[in-house]
Amino acid sequence: MAIKLGLAILLFLSLTAAFYFDPPDARSPLGVQRNATTDHPHLKLMTWNIGYAALEDDTRAHTSDLSAVAEIILKNSPDAVALQELADPSQLDLLIDRLGRRYRGFAGRMNRSDRIDAVLVKHGAAQFAAVPTSRADAASAVFHVRAGTQAREIVFISAHADAYSAARRRRYTEQVADWATARLKPETLVFLAGDFNFELNADKETNFFTDNVKHDSEAYSYLLRFFRDLGRDAGDTAINERRIDYIFGPQDSVVLVHVQVLRGAAVGRMDHWPLLVEIEL
Amino acid sequence: MVTLILLELRKLVRSRSFYVSFVALFGFVLLMLWGFYSYVTIKAGAQAVEQFKYTYESKSYFNGLTFSLYSVLFSFSLLVPLFVTMNAGNTIAGEAQAGTLRMICTRPVSRNSIFLAKFLIVALHTYLLLAFFIIVNLIVGLVFIGWGNLELYPGPLNLVDEPGKILLGESLWRFVYASFSGTWALLVIAAIAMLFSVLYDSPIMAVGITMAVYVMLYVVGRVEFFAHLRPYFFTTAMDFWRDVFKPDIPWISVYHYAAVCGIYTFGSLLAASIIFERKDITT
Repeated sequence: MAIKLGLAILLFLSLTAAFYFDPPDARSPLGVQRNATTDHPHLKLMTWNIGYAALEDDTRAHTSDLSAVAEIILKNSPDAVALQELADPSQLDLLIDRLGRRYRGFAGRMNRSDRIDAVLVKHGAAQFAAVPTSRADAASAVFHVRAGTQAREIVFISAHADAYSAARRRRYTEQVADWATARLKPETLVFLAGDFNFELNADKETNFFTDNVKHDSEAYSYLLRFFRDLGRDAGDTAINERRIDYIFGPQDSVVLVHVQVLRGAAVGRMDHWPLLVEIEL
Repeated sequence: MVTLILLELRKLVRSRSFYVSFVALFGFVLLMLWGFYSYVTIKAGAQAVEQFKYTYESKSYFNGLTFSLYSVLFSFSLLVPLFVTMNAGNTIAGEAQAGTLRMICTRPVSRNSIFLAKFLIVALHTYLLLAFFIIVNLIVGLVFIGWGNLELYPGPLNLVDEPGKILLGESLWRFVYASFSGTWALLVIAAIAMLFSVLYDSPIMAVGITMAVYVMLYVVGRVEFFAHLRPYFFTTAMDFWRDVFKPDIPWISVYHYAAVCGIYTFGSLLAASIIFERKDITT
């Protein structure tokens, strides 16, 4: 009797544990290639700092470039776009017009900065929110994608860290990361995209009497505790061989299908190229 | 209970099939080594073949750890379950066929104690098989190929979606984890085999039906047409054991599928113990 009771208890515990631990994905058996099907939709994400290089009079985005920016976005058709260095919200409205209203957008507050970050999403029911930081607010969008029988919530954040101070970059990164990680749930996928300005390559450091590399590497490491650097293998994203634009995504539960820096997409005197990432849910 | 376990252990050690299973697994390792060597010769040429000598650290992807990984992963699907099923299926049905089942059930111990003792020995045998197999693979891999980091690439192993690696020290620990996770997964088929062993008086029937069910679900689960049925097959849950070889072990998924395996194992054992307790032994 005791043995049967013991087996029954173990069975009950197994049942409870199976319901309690709910993995995000179904298994792919050994030897079965995982194919993209409707059960695993693709999501294309883009980040682009459309401002100009540091030596220009106005390093913010120029209205005259928005048609070209719209053309690149329409050509690549990302599901969500993170934009940085827009001069004001009217530029975002103009861009949405140029996109034929195929996208909805949101811009974060300028606060004490002179430029804003924005998100564009295709999803008609997306919700937007500002991500409060010590400089201009980052912008976020939340929308849902159906993957098989499961609806996945996508949180997409557009961020732009300080270009000149590593300490301020680190503080900003921590603020955005903490906001993003507070929204991490089993059915939620969080993506942080933008110009983080991390200078991680000590070879390029000209002044060894600062803590720049230390601050940037610790900020980057902090992000990697929770996210994966999806654009790691795509190469430089800005002039002077710098990889300073990133798209961070879930550490697992997504398959990285394609990553590319769209060199040649920059117009005018832009110093960044768009980073495009395609993932499979 | 301890006496029962020791008796069952003695029976196991004295049976020929116990040693045959280890010999067969050793033969499989040699076969894998031959296949690995000829594959490298054809695909990578003489330079890679030069790596096939004793080196502590192999600089090639084709190192002893990769060899061990492939060997363990592909044998786990059909070879090891076969030996586990043979042993588990023989526990009750084998005694019934030999005519000794009625005798052991007349002893002043409960039938469920006998049943549980037999299952514990089956579990021990399963672990010994898997541990032996992993150790032999690692030793053969070290001696004939050389160790290095465990490089992982996207492909049929379905372990990673992008290239990754597990460092040497950590990867050895992963093989240790695999011995436990693999044993837990194999206990599902052991429990099912013991259920059929209780239902049938012939060990051949018990083993045959268990393997038929296992192979059927295994094959069907790999056909794309039936992808939506996969979550309901125990073979899908059993597959969790190899998640310990992912660079970042998905612990939630591991716990979930280990629990699902537990459901199959304890559910089968509970059913078998109830049936065995009420079984009318006529042989």
